[in-house]
Amino acid sequence: MIGFVSRRLATALVQLVGLALVVFFAIRLLPADPVARLVGLNASRDAYLTAQRSLGLDRPVAEQFGSYLGVLPGSSGLLQGDFGRSWVTGDPVAQEIGRVLPITLELITVSFVLAFLVSVPLGMICAIRPGGAADRATFAYSLFAGSQPEFWWGLLFIFVFFAELGWAPAPLGRLDPMSTPPAVVTGFITVDSLLAGNMAAFRDGVHHLMLPVLTKVFVLSGPIVKMVRQNMVRVMASDYVLFAQASGLTPGRIARIALKNALAPALTLLGVLYGYILGGAVLIETVFSLGGIGSYAVRSVLAFDYPAIQAVVLVIAAVSLLVYLVLDLLHAALDPRLVG
Amino acid sequence: MRFKGLAAAALAALPLLAPPAAGQGTQLLYLAEDVPAGLDYDGPAVTVNTSQVGFINMMDTLVDYPIAGENDEGIRRLDFSRFEGRLAESWDYDAATLTWTFRLRQGVKSCAGNTFTADDVIYTLARGKSVSGTAPINWFLGSLASIAGFDRGVFTGGSRELGDAVEKVDDHTIRIRQSASNNLFLTVLTVYSMAPFDSVEMRKNATPEDPWSHTYANTVNAAGFGPYCLERWVKGDEFVLRANPDYYRGRPQIDRVVIKRVPQSANRALTLRSGQAQLTQRLTAREFEQLSRARGVRVAGIFGNETLLMGLNWRTPPFDNPKLRQAIALAMPLQQLSRIGYAGQARPWEAHFTEVLNGYVRPEAQYPQNLDRARQLLAEAGYPGGRGLEAFPDALRLSFTAERESYLGPLATAIQSALRDIGVPIQLDPLPQTQFADRRMVKKDLPMSLSDTEKPVGPDVVYATRLFFVSPQAGGVNNITNYSNPELDRLFGEAQTEPDPARRAPLVNQIQQIVQRDLAWIPLLETRTQWAFSDRLSGLTWHPDNSLRLFELRLAP
Amino acid sequence: MSDAPAVEAALTARDLRDGAAAPVPDRLFRLGAATVALSLVLMVVGPWITPYDVGRPTDDIAVPPPSLAEVPGLLWAVLTGRPHEPVYWFGTDASGLDIFSRVLAAPRADVAIAVGANLVSLALGSLLGLLAGTARPWLAGLVMRLSDLVQAFPVFITGMILVTLAGRSPTTIVLTLALLYTPIYIRLTRAEVLTQRGRGFVDASRALGKREAWIALRHVLPNALVPAMIQASVTVGFAILMTAGLSFVGAGVRPPTPEWGLMIAAGADGIVQGEWWPSLFPGLAISITVFGYAAFGNGLERRHAR
Repeated sequence: MIGFVSRRLATALVQLVGLALVVFFAIRLLPADPVARLVGLNASRDAYLTAQRSLGLDRPVAEQFGSYLGVLPGSSGLLQGDFGRSWVTGDPVAQEIGRVLPITLELITVSFVLAFLVSVPLGMICAIRPGGAADRATFAYSLFAGSQPEFWWGLLFIFVFFAELGWAPAPLGRLDPMSTPPAVVTGFITVDSLLAGNMAAFRDGVHHLMLPVLTKVFVLSGPIVKMVRQNMVRVMASDYVLFAQASGLTPGRIARIALKNALAPALTLLGVLYGYILGGAVLIETVFSLGGIGSYAVRSVLAFDYPAIQAVVLVIAAVSLLVYLVLDLLHAALDPRLVG
Repeated sequence: MRFKGLAAAALAALPLLAPPAAGQGTQLLYLAEDVPAGLDYDGPAVTVNTSQVGFINMMDTLVDYPIAGENDEGIRRLDFSRFEGRLAESWDYDAATLTWTFRLRQGVKSCAGNTFTADDVIYTLARGKSVSGTAPINWFLGSLASIAGFDRGVFTGGSRELGDAVEKVDDHTIRIRQSASNNLFLTVLTVYSMAPFDSVEMRKNATPEDPWSHTYANTVNAAGFGPYCLERWVKGDEFVLRANPDYYRGRPQIDRVVIKRVPQSANRALTLRSGQAQLTQRLTAREFEQLSRARGVRVAGIFGNETLLMGLNWRTPPFDNPKLRQAIALAMPLQQLSRIGYAGQARPWEAHFTEVLNGYVRPEAQYPQNLDRARQLLAEAGYPGGRGLEAFPDALRLSFTAERESYLGPLATAIQSALRDIGVPIQLDPLPQTQFADRRMVKKDLPMSLSDTEKPVGPDVVYATRLFFVSPQAGGVNNITNYSNPELDRLFGEAQTEPDPARRAPLVNQIQQIVQRDLAWIPLLETRTQWAFSDRLSGLTWHPDNSLRLFELRLAP
Repeated sequence: MSDAPAVEAALTARDLRDGAAAPVPDRLFRLGAATVALSLVLMVVGPWITPYDVGRPTDDIAVPPPSLAEVPGLLWAVLTGRPHEPVYWFGTDASGLDIFSRVLAAPRADVAIAVGANLVSLALGSLLGLLAGTARPWLAGLVMRLSDLVQAFPVFITGMILVTLAGRSPTTIVLTLALLYTPIYIRLTRAEVLTQRGRGFVDASRALGKREAWIALRHVLPNALVPAMIQASVTVGFAILMTAGLSFVGAGVRPPTPEWGLMIAAGADGIVQGEWWPSLFPGLAISITVFGYAAFGNGLERRHAR
């Protein structure tokens, strides 16, 4: 098991280093000039050079990369856990990401768990009689939900539940602008407000999560239902289920056994899906004005804030790899044949 | 139907209103597109309007303009032909030695509790001349005012020390020497980037690498002598100011101002309508229109210095052709632009300067939409029906900032459609702000650009001329279209140094006729600077930097 | 959703292996096929059949669409050529552009970009997949590691960064999407090649002394392409979602190109104030089109698996 874990960790690490390398050089190859924005109103050649020097962009690219990684003497970089400072705000990028990432993770994790809870029964209904009416209807639903533009559904939900019915709060962010956010412990508003015993903030936080989570659960349920169904069908057709049926076990017992075996392989795919969702969170964040990592990415790209761009890509990839790894390990724990 | 829904939404929002904490005094919630990104006026965030609101309200200038009454919407105006003391109590000028003497106000306290003295002014100018910040605006303004030694020399090996240009007479008297006679001196002193720092506080936060405390000023606090002090600052989210109890013009009526970032204008409009916030700006014209009918909300504005214009690069063929420029100007669908972008609330801009500027006259040359005349001029320019323009595919691209695409995009589309009518085919090219600013102001190679950001903070025709129309060789700084006319350069030089107002007026008049005749820009619309606010709020005053002075606001209980 | 292609790809590969493919009803499959066909037709003719010029603002700003009760009368008036007020079937947007015309013309952007990106990545991916399936281990390993690396990038964010920094043009978007989708085809083709190589006719060719590369191209590739093509019909749908999504956050085609995502973004501010039509119709178009591609692709997959 330890060998399995360390092998996976090593692969993930190699990938991250590869990513860091590619991102660093790729954005420097693109036809964009990050110096200009800092020079501003009075842009003389000298001011331009000064700004270029202050960003360290006058040095050879290899040297820049060295100091970005933190392998040059005296430099602090990725190896030291330092993403550098944002060229826009001057703040450490790590600190800024620490502020925005939990907002996205909270939304996505809650949506993921809820979508999973909704999808498993649906997928099982399909698998009980593959090809039956329930299967076809549910499958059509999953096909539909899985192919929808989430940002558009978010807007529709805003129209119906906010503009028309007035049930949801304005799509203004994580909390009501006038409320005081709970002290930051985890960065998850719901968790922090519970920790602080601030029930008003908790309710407000959940209220504001309602529509974005609804949107996400809707589109996420598509692929998850399909995934569960496919695995269940496969398991239900397997020898041991046939054997169980032949032995006269109740359908309920059989379903329970089948579910465990069907979910194990689904975990790996869920890991992949989580990474994709994290990278695509920018759409839902834009619709609901949530200042998560997606919005931070947009901000950084438009401002040509290279340290921030590099960090966003690396952090999202790292979180995705981590989630993937954890689910993979879970899978391995459920299915020990994989460890070998 | 729609309004019923909105009313329901507003009601639903009411229970969410946080009860005002006891004993907190008046509090204002001000919704902005962003909160300040930095507070150093020589720092990277200085050109960002949402950042200016921060340091403008935390600092004070030596002089400013007196209030001159209000327009029919209740927005107060300033009188740009007179000056009034702020941190300076009085001043006089000795033309023979080009020296200004300022007597500074006594007993002024900063947020940190330090007393304002001549050292603060000297520190501020010395910091400016060190050009150590990423955007040396203080130095730039000093050069516009001809303060001795504030010239390009600082970049080419000249001294970056203040030297004897500024002299401390006593703790509350200073002398500032000019290198040449320049009428813009006091105008420049009203601009935010000339506001004195609290030098004691700034020095406390200096480091060997950063002797002028740029990092501190930019990321922690703008230490000045203004009416508000920083209480809390969460970048990208919230910026909270608390009244400076020791402010020399009296304690501000509003104790606490929360500036909250709400990037989407529709969301700002809704929150204001629901009564949760008291002030916002930069909404779309239609949102303003709808808010003006809402209960408890007022919408008011003023034609200040905000405009919409198209820049055609004089160095990029075919735009070096005056007939082509005129043809383009005559094709502009001004009424349609006003309807699409401003709900019909903007007015055709008939000059290169706005009406509020000191010295404004309406020029004779006018370009009301006339497609026949435009086609005729296009033919005279050598491109009958647009034939021949296919040789310039790279020039016929209208750029604007991608960040503001939802508003500039439709305007650019209408322009594209109108130009197609006379046979000029153009493409639209939204660029990220960064790239747009670089190509427009540094490389100056954008062939066509649509912008609404040319707002001279010095409310004077001569100041605006120096900024936008004087050629770089003659000291022009922000000449985005590479416009160059020796006659104009000469007139500007004379107008800047002519002390007699009666002899200056005709020069200023001529300047305005010339740029309009030449079409240095294609002026499109004069637009209103507008705010939507609770009807309990009053005292809104238009300043040329388009930032409200929170000190001037009154919030009724 | 732009998030799902990799999951889809993984599922497709497995389903084809063990025949647990999707139960797409025939009616749904035919509807999907019709939608795909319609989208391809509109991609070609859309901009030519619009009632209004897609780039010329009308004088009517933010006019709502006619109510359902008015539609028959208006339709009659239009069809019989009787004089009538201008008809905007889907209303006009905040700048006075006719939404119906723009929805019709948009496949020229959305569908063309999606199809183009998939053609490029299909070509690139199947060649690289073939290489990975037949070449020497070190070369095959290199291809697969590079493909892993590309897949480790967060798709949407990377797309946004590349398009914004490289310039917003259809070509950039096509190339960016192609780059991001290539690994899917590499994997698919490689897996298929490995299966095919085990089959008899390859051994037979080899016995006849045919050269390895020729065998691969002549026999293995055509067979390996089938699942890749099926995958493509699903992935085109996701590429449409991604194209529209990129435009929605300002990293897509430039205005005033009629494009669904751009149109939804333009209407987004109005939605909060109850102005639903500028965003509704382009979104509906995406919703139906992508669903159509999904139904078509999944149906194909099932039919292939039979």
